[in-house]
Amino acid sequence: MKPFNILILILVATISILLISPYLGLNSSTNAEIQQHILTQLRIPRILFAFIAGAGLAVCGMVFQAMFRNPLATPFTLGVASGASLGAALYVFLGFSFSIMSIDGSTFAAFLGSLIAISFVYSISRLRSGFSTETLLLTGVAISFFFSSLILFTQYMSNVSDSFQILRWLMGSLTTVGYRDVLQLLPFVSVCIAVILWLSRELNLLMAGDDIALSRGLAVQKTRYLLFFVTSLCVGAIVALCGPIGFIGMMVPHICRLLIGSDHHWLTPATLLFGGSFLIICDSIARLIIAPAEIPVGVITTLLGGPFFLWLLIKSRNKSF
Amino acid sequence: MNGMLNVQELNVEVASKKLISDISFGLEQGDYLCVLGPNGAGKSTLLKALMGIVKTASGDITLNQQSVSQLSQKQLAQHISYVPQAHGRQLNFNVADFIKMGRFPYHSAFSDWTSTDKQAMDRAIDITKTSDFLSRQMQTLSGGESQRVMIAAALCQQTPLLLLDEPTSFLDPLHQVEVHQLIRQLNQQHNISIIEVSHDLNHAAHHSKHILALKNGKTLWYGQSAELLQSSHLQDLYDQQFVFTPHPQTGAMVALPCELSNDVS
Repeated sequence: MKPFNILILILVATISILLISPYLGLNSSTNAEIQQHILTQLRIPRILFAFIAGAGLAVCGMVFQAMFRNPLATPFTLGVASGASLGAALYVFLGFSFSIMSIDGSTFAAFLGSLIAISFVYSISRLRSGFSTETLLLTGVAISFFFSSLILFTQYMSNVSDSFQILRWLMGSLTTVGYRDVLQLLPFVSVCIAVILWLSRELNLLMAGDDIALSRGLAVQKTRYLLFFVTSLCVGAIVALCGPIGFIGMMVPHICRLLIGSDHHWLTPATLLFGGSFLIICDSIARLIIAPAEIPVGVITTLLGGPFFLWLLIKSRNKSF
Repeated sequence: MNGMLNVQELNVEVASKKLISDISFGLEQGDYLCVLGPNGAGKSTLLKALMGIVKTASGDITLNQQSVSQLSQKQLAQHISYVPQAHGRQLNFNVADFIKMGRFPYHSAFSDWTSTDKQAMDRAIDITKTSDFLSRQMQTLSGGESQRVMIAAALCQQTPLLLLDEPTSFLDPLHQVEVHQLIRQLNQQHNISIIEVSHDLNHAAHHSKHILALKNGKTLWYGQSAELLQSSHLQDLYDQQFVFTPHPQTGAMVALPCELSNDVS
């Protein structure tokens, strides 16, 4: 099938999911007014938020996979998400409370955290001569552990209510999302995705490796820094609002690459739509499976993602990206 | 010197290890330079330094009297193209998409694919005879096919200078001849200047115009290719005795490595 047709199919599926999912689990015995309220004030913002966050996480994952030519390289495996989490956890712990242009301070704290994490991982992996993806991944894992223990420490030192807040948030949840959060998230994710769409050709070249990219005239280092910056912004904003929802950035782009090929002119829009729909589906499962209670959506994505990660690890051994 | 490319006292260090020290040479438009030398002599590093892939520690590289340090990577890629050591088959690309990426230096973010781009691409495909496998994946190509695709992508850049890093090292004799014929055709018919890193010294001696012999990152010998087989430098270069004999078919002098005399017993 042509990439265009596949993209149309994904688009149709996405629209159906967007239209159907608000009505799932809507109790028909309650009166119409309450139903209406649940639908417009709770469900719709939550689904919009899930779509934007899922799209952002998936596209950032796609960028990392292309930049480092490895399906296991994502903002999560490289410690960017734990950097963001630490930033946001410190913001809660230290009792900061500020906002700039009506954007909550935790977003900036998370953005700083993710930027520090990626700078750290990237510069450490470049210290050793002969930059290799293995070094990069291992550095990312080490940094993730380091930041996770700092988060645990922060949580341990916090009072009970802060501690519970941090814990719930660390699991990744969309429970308390409202229109305000949608508006907070939208500018960051759209700027990030716009830049990434604009850099389709550059991403294609990065997938061919640094030597070929440079010989075709791509300023590799500059492009990489720009991509680090926008993905940190995007991951930071998402993590600050709904916690680190893992594995979407690894599963979705990889599946899309199998469906539509690795040309980023097609891959980026496909990943965006697929990622958004995927998080809506996971969130619906999280919401319905033990209704009326809910599981944090991060638990669902991680349950799916863990086995997928292992499958990739076994399958991609000795095979380049 | 006022050739198209001038390299003056070039030094390259990677992780504080000196890989290239004080190399100087010049290249005229239409020249065909072969870079010879043992493994680890700095041949590939020299090509990468010219292409801006590794940073130079000191020294000047000028293209048409302009220092390359003043050019952006994109501008550099309009002057020099590069075919890396064989790894085309590890790339997960469609052949046509890969060749098309050779037009990158002529595009900005929002520019469209023009008829100039199409002409350049068609011409590159035509010269390299790659039209039969445009729709295939790079991983499914044979070694010879993959090398022609790599050259086609570089030709898309329409540069006056083409750098080739061991373009025939992993090919069987038939495909070696085929790729070398293609390179000579590019040089003679299309007036593209060539710098080729090679281990095939007889090919270098007979088909290139100049030879730069490197050892331990230094220039050991630089001169007219035909003179290489008359000099004793070949032995110094490879730490190996050679015998010279006329080719039974063509009569041209060829160098053959001597059998190692010390017995293994």
